[in-house]
Amino acid sequence: MSSVTIDAGPQAPSGLDSFKQTALYRFLIFPLGQMLVFILGATVLLTVFVYGLAVLFPEPRPNIVLVEQLNRQLPGMIISGISIGFVYAMIALGYTLVYGVLKFINFAHSEIFMVGSVIGFSFMSFLNSLGMLAGFNPILLVVSTVLVSAGFSGLLAVGIERVAYKPLRRAPRLVPLITAIGLSFILQDTVRAIASLTINDFNLTYPTRDIAWLQSPLNPLVFNIGGIDVRVRITAIIIMIAAVIMLLILNYFVNGTKAGRGIRAISMDQTTAGLMGIPVNTMISLTFFIGGALGGAAGALYGLNVGTVTPYIGFIPGLKAFTAAVLGGIGNVTGALLGGILLGMIETFLNGTLVYFPAIGIRYTDIFAFGILIAVLIFRPSGLLGERVDEKV
Amino acid sequence: MLLEVRNLVKSFGGIHAVRDVSLTIERSSISAIIGPNGAGKTTFFNLLTGIYKPDSGELMFDGKSLKGLRPDQVMKMGVARTFQNIRLFHNMTVLENVMVGEHSRLRISLADTLLRTAGFSKQEQRVRQKASDLLKFVGLAGKGDETAKNVPYGDQRRIEIARALASDPKLILLDEPTAGMNPNESEDAMNLFRRIRDEFGVTVVLIEHDMKVVMGISEHIDVLDYGQKIAEGTPAQIRANPRVVEAYLGRRAVEDHAEAAE
Amino acid sequence: MASISAPLKQKRSFWAFLDKPSNALIFALAYIALTLLAVVLIDRRSLWYPLMNMITTPLFLFTPLVVVSLPLGKWLKVGMFVAMLLVVMPIVGIYNPPFLELAIQISIFAGLALGLNIVVGFAGLLDLGYVAFFAVGAYLWGMFTSNADTVFMVNGWTVDGGAFYIFLILGVAAAALVGILLGLPVLRLRGDYLAIVTLGFGEVIRILARNLDAPTNFTNGAQGLSGIGVPPLPGFLIGFTESMASALGLRVDNPDALAKQLLYYLLALGMLFVIMLICSRLKDSPIGRAWTAIREDEVAAIAMGVPLVRMKLLAFASGAAFAGAIGVLYAAKQSFIDPQSFILLQSISILAMIIVGGMGNIKGVLLGAMLITIVELHTLTNLSLQFNALRNANILNIPQQLDPSKYQPLVFGVILVLMMLFRPAGLLPERSRKLELQEMREEDELQHAMEEPLRDNVLADTSTPGEK
Repeated sequence: MSSVTIDAGPQAPSGLDSFKQTALYRFLIFPLGQMLVFILGATVLLTVFVYGLAVLFPEPRPNIVLVEQLNRQLPGMIISGISIGFVYAMIALGYTLVYGVLKFINFAHSEIFMVGSVIGFSFMSFLNSLGMLAGFNPILLVVSTVLVSAGFSGLLAVGIERVAYKPLRRAPRLVPLITAIGLSFILQDTVRAIASLTINDFNLTYPTRDIAWLQSPLNPLVFNIGGIDVRVRITAIIIMIAAVIMLLILNYFVNGTKAGRGIRAISMDQTTAGLMGIPVNTMISLTFFIGGALGGAAGALYGLNVGTVTPYIGFIPGLKAFTAAVLGGIGNVTGALLGGILLGMIETFLNGTLVYFPAIGIRYTDIFAFGILIAVLIFRPSGLLGERVDEKV
Repeated sequence: MLLEVRNLVKSFGGIHAVRDVSLTIERSSISAIIGPNGAGKTTFFNLLTGIYKPDSGELMFDGKSLKGLRPDQVMKMGVARTFQNIRLFHNMTVLENVMVGEHSRLRISLADTLLRTAGFSKQEQRVRQKASDLLKFVGLAGKGDETAKNVPYGDQRRIEIARALASDPKLILLDEPTAGMNPNESEDAMNLFRRIRDEFGVTVVLIEHDMKVVMGISEHIDVLDYGQKIAEGTPAQIRANPRVVEAYLGRRAVEDHAEAAE
Repeated sequence: MASISAPLKQKRSFWAFLDKPSNALIFALAYIALTLLAVVLIDRRSLWYPLMNMITTPLFLFTPLVVVSLPLGKWLKVGMFVAMLLVVMPIVGIYNPPFLELAIQISIFAGLALGLNIVVGFAGLLDLGYVAFFAVGAYLWGMFTSNADTVFMVNGWTVDGGAFYIFLILGVAAAALVGILLGLPVLRLRGDYLAIVTLGFGEVIRILARNLDAPTNFTNGAQGLSGIGVPPLPGFLIGFTESMASALGLRVDNPDALAKQLLYYLLALGMLFVIMLICSRLKDSPIGRAWTAIREDEVAAIAMGVPLVRMKLLAFASGAAFAGAIGVLYAAKQSFIDPQSFILLQSISILAMIIVGGMGNIKGVLLGAMLITIVELHTLTNLSLQFNALRNANILNIPQQLDPSKYQPLVFGVILVLMMLFRPAGLLPERSRKLELQEMREEDELQHAMEEPLRDNVLADTSTPGEK
């Protein structure tokens, strides 16, 4: 992964340097290594934090020894932290890519994610109604669901940009923001109207019951680590694998293709990029498509994981993903990944720990995300990976 | 001495916009800061007025430090300015623009505002009167009710000056005040700058590219190049300074010129 | 003005007709009489009643606005306006209580919209969590007077309804304080970040309201607070209600309830009037000029001596203060509040009011508040009733899933998007705002991009020393 900046010029090839120039390194080893570092870093950080809490408050409730609880829960928290983190990261990329090129917060992106989750449901239900779901190859099923959701959401995002944002590109910043808020409500209610008209219910439950391999005794997978049973849900593994593959593709696209270079150029200077012959409108549409597709894919994976989706599920994950994007440094692709993983981890660790504190409980998890958002915006608005540059005027 | 700048430094991400500049401005003088494009003149103004924070250095104004003050506090101390790329409040009227300039000199109490006390009305009356007097002073009598953005370009510069004067400054910083003016208009502007000093006793510092204006009006000139001060002196001294000529025309040009002369 | 199209000519001659005061007076009286008759005389048992009601009631509600905008003599205008609001409308309200309810809601939301207008319209700060301040006021009164078993209930005793007027002031203070506490850290943020943070803050307040029932019960959580205290009911209102009812030949089952509604109507109207007065005085003062300057160009404003953060805080706190006071009234009137009364959609609907009407323009905001509240509480509801009636009569079967009253968010969404695309300055634009939006569209993008770093820099630099 790399930020939306143009790499320095060619360097004199030496042993390691020339390896660093290879596609294998740039598009596979380096980004994978980066993800691993982020995950390990976040894990270590939060593990230390929660055990620190356990030292400070050994027994937050009578007969509950926090250390014991944490020992038992830790592997599970890590796994679910990573998977929810990847979901946030994928949504956050949509905010960050659009922000990168248009310097505009696409508030409606959370609803693109929601639409993706609903499309995933519709696709699976459709297969089910044809009686094809049970016998579908698991990998093919996941891949096709994610692709359909991604494609639909991507096209929706492009359509929205064309109709509602493009005419406002030169308007004051707050005008497209208000439009985006309006669009969010329109999308929510439209989905609700369609769902209630077609199936008379807007709680949309993925037909996972009819998928044999999700119902098999293998789900959740149980590993025994050091005498503790660690349950890993198959869907969590699916999310992780799918997310990693998509993030690798995105990285290749942004840093390894001509179109990606065009998008990076626009993010630096739209006017000049246009003068240099880059088709600005096409590139902006492409950006919306990619961002929307990632959001839609995240929606389908999220839906598969939680089972039931509604037209209103977009708001909170959307706000958290936005927080992730800001935390990492909005406009910065690597930052979105880091922010997403961090936020996912923070959320699961806090949920897993604070539940033992009677006065707090898990009821305030959403507030923590807002708290992080506000703190980051105030103390480091450029985010963790954004450079703070005083530009000359 | 009204303003004393010592060893002022400001860089932007590795680019030194202003490096180690020291200069002094005499009370009730008219001086100019000149230099090629990108020499750091506007950055210098932005540092003086608190829009940028200096990396290091000292700014003494009328015996007090300006360092660390916000722009509005600097204005309250008596430093007013205009902008290179005219920054009027475009959709307010001309008069309202000038009235905003008086903000830092007003006694603003919420209770008075809401109750419309006699004091409030009197103050509003006074502010309005002063603003329209200032418009008259800069030659815009009767234009107070026009929307600022509909006023011709040259007049917009005058509004900015009136707005700056409304704060009763001791020092006024004019950033390229004659940019885009024809020779006649420049002549008028120079008269205006002199009258600002003569009638209000305000010290005037201008950034200017038009050498006719610079040489015609300044009593003292400081020259910046690549963020450094390379010369200072009277107009005659500056005109004769080879480093200044070089900075403006480039070394090659100077050498060519010298060769041609030989 | 060389070519004048036919419709314009027609319009012009109509206005020319109204220019004559006597004609205007005739028009006003005719308008009032016709709409009043329409409201009073339509048959409530008719199949088409909801549809007719949907059209006639708003027309009648607009009468004060019509009177004000006609070229009548000043005193005549004021007299008719006051008579409409204080005599005619209450009487119609006694005849038709839902009408009174609608008028109260309009006054309440118009007050809120004017408060938000200070923040968004005057100072140019987009606040998406405005409803939070409304919630602060409402919960303040609710917590102390509700019959729910909160910590504020001591031995079954709660604050008496008589304290209502004190709590109006406390509501102002509490909301303003919360506004300042929130504003201090976030008002340095750039516009779009500020919008998201305020949105988050709105949600935080709602989450707090939902969760502060344990370990100590402050808000009674998701169940909400019921049986909220009622301000003392002046006797003359009961008398007025009873005598009016008998004069109209109506049988009123519960005159006290109706008189209470009249009290809320008068209170809401009174507060709206005070808020309007404050708004117009603030606007036409050094404070208002400073706000406009900030909205137009923050860098120039601070360089001209306008203390950015302080003036922004003042805008934020004033807007919050109004919402706090109205919140107290709202809680009393509804007698029940819960966290769901203060969702994001509420903030957005108030925002829609000022966008539809015209940001910054007090008259525009009032118009917007009327229109949006009518759509929200009257039009959609009556459409639903009409659909139900038609369905029951087997005339037209529109599926229940499309019940219009369930689609408020969609309606607001469509309104926001269409307004932004086609009329960003609102129906009654403030002179300057209209120009500003046009100008921004024309403005060279490059110029815009160049100003940004400076703007960010200034915002960073206005921070408290020692932060860096």
